[in-house]
Amino acid sequence: MAGKFNRSKAGWGIGLIFFAFFVVYPFLVNAERSYLVYFLYTTFIYIALAQGWNLAGGYAGQVSLGQHAFFGVGSYVTAILWRAKTIGYLDPTGMILSGVGATVLGILVGLLLLSKLRGDYFALGTLGLGEILRVVAINGGSLTEGPVGINIGSEAYVSMTYYYFFALAIAIVALAVVFLMARSSIGLALVAIRENEVSAAAKGVNLLKYKVIAFAAGAFVTGLCGSLYAYYTFHIDTSGAFSLDWVILPVLMTILGGAGTFLGPVLGAFILSGVFEIANTLMPQLHSIFSAAFIVLVTLFLPDGLIRYISGHRERILRRLPIFRWIA
Amino acid sequence: MHWFSSSTTFFQVLVNGVFLGCMYGVAAIGLSLIFGCMQIIFIAQGAVMILAAYCIFWMVSFSSISPFWGFLFIIPVFLGFGWAMYSGLFQRVAKTGKNPSLLLAFGLMVLLEQLMAFFFSSNFRSVPTKYASTALRLAEVTFSVNRIIVAFVAFISTALVFLFLRKTIIGKAVRAVSEDMEAAAFLGMRPEWVSAVTFSIGIALAGIAGVATCIIFPFDPYFGFIFSLKALIAVAFGGLGSVGGALLGGVILGVLESLSAYIIGGGWADAAAYAVFLLVLIFKPEGLLGRSYGEKA
Repeated sequence: MAGKFNRSKAGWGIGLIFFAFFVVYPFLVNAERSYLVYFLYTTFIYIALAQGWNLAGGYAGQVSLGQHAFFGVGSYVTAILWRAKTIGYLDPTGMILSGVGATVLGILVGLLLLSKLRGDYFALGTLGLGEILRVVAINGGSLTEGPVGINIGSEAYVSMTYYYFFALAIAIVALAVVFLMARSSIGLALVAIRENEVSAAAKGVNLLKYKVIAFAAGAFVTGLCGSLYAYYTFHIDTSGAFSLDWVILPVLMTILGGAGTFLGPVLGAFILSGVFEIANTLMPQLHSIFSAAFIVLVTLFLPDGLIRYISGHRERILRRLPIFRWIA
Repeated sequence: MHWFSSSTTFFQVLVNGVFLGCMYGVAAIGLSLIFGCMQIIFIAQGAVMILAAYCIFWMVSFSSISPFWGFLFIIPVFLGFGWAMYSGLFQRVAKTGKNPSLLLAFGLMVLLEQLMAFFFSSNFRSVPTKYASTALRLAEVTFSVNRIIVAFVAFISTALVFLFLRKTIIGKAVRAVSEDMEAAAFLGMRPEWVSAVTFSIGIALAGIAGVATCIIFPFDPYFGFIFSLKALIAVAFGGLGSVGGALLGGVILGVLESLSAYIIGGGWADAAAYAVFLLVLIFKPEGLLGRSYGEKA
């Protein structure tokens, strides 16, 4: 027990060191030109998206392929309110409203789909949801400005540092939501549902309630990311806001790191963003081919994720690399 | 009938929908077979279709063979391709669970799309055929010859798959394995071998659907994804695991799209299809013809 206690203490310590580095770093360099600042900004967003999927997909085993619906709704809520001058530039109220919009959608859709559909059918239903919303946005008339999308002048742009810190804040919100939920009775209920729905229900777990909580919490975080995306691009159209990238990449990152673990998505987001960036720099032509091949290789060789692989082979890794002994 | 200017228009829209639906149907049968044996949704189906479409495109570009001969050449090639894909990739991943298989299919789809975009460019291609502008007219309703041939191929392949599953010993093994893999193994069937056969047939059907696509539509490397989705909807209509249901589901979907494109406009046709898809999933998840998989925990 004592060893475990120290380990978790060391984990907090390392987390704090990283956090301090992330807070200080943009002030040490020219944030507008720094590649690392931009890289961290995208990685933070992916961490949030991955954790947003991880709650329902990883912990509760309800694989959603409709995260782009929440992302798109978040972006459009921000873009529409911003155009109407109801909210300002990089307005936290606007972000929270966007998150709430996505959550409302998540609760409605969750109640409808999760009560009826399981497994693949649920995945397909959510995929259909995202595609329906895309078509709705294309045909939304003056509200969404159709396929052209909503254009907002980029005069408002101030500094990359703001985006960086908002992304960091959203990632921390996502981490906090998952951390608190996973360590509460909700987390236990979710894992019970994933492992065996029938026996969870027999033990008195309200299946629908917990599934919808996880799904809606994920929707909230995803909506926040969508909102920041709208502020970042100054132009929201259906192909960007409802892009399947907002589903595929986070899901992949979560599975690479370890679905249903707290640190898995974080690790996955860093590794995958890193791999994509390196591929993009070294061989821009082949970048997407390389990334896709990487997806195939991950599923072939690491289907349970890195975190579970590491804890499964802990002793062997420590023998080879004793430096990790006091962190792992 | 006040939505339509005349009953001829109505029948024309209906006929177009049925022909469109036949293509969805062929892709859907493949998907349904693969689901039956592996319990995964093979989302790369559309990308495999487009790969077949490119094969035909290059065959026609470099020789003067009619694209319709492509059906004969695509079937063995894609059977082999499916076999390689199953024994090289899916057999290994299927053991670790369903989510990795789904993800693998996804990765494969993106990989195929990107490889095609890299080697063949992402320009739209189309395959010219001799009968492109030939059409039969029957009581003022036009039947394009290309589409008639495609529909014919769709029915033949459905019938062949149906006969294969009902009448041959391998087909019976395929049905047995998709019903209960363990019991089938106890009775001396090799689930892996049977799954490989099923998967190969599914891929060959995707190839056939791809040939049909390239005869009728211009395509680019990313065109397949929407077809995967359409095939999925068709499968959901018909019920996972039912061959006739998949074709019927495809035809229903085609007619639905065609009608809604005419009545409420092309932009909404996709949304209408997805909305009906969601409703079917919610209220009749076993499909219109499918057997119920029930509460198999």
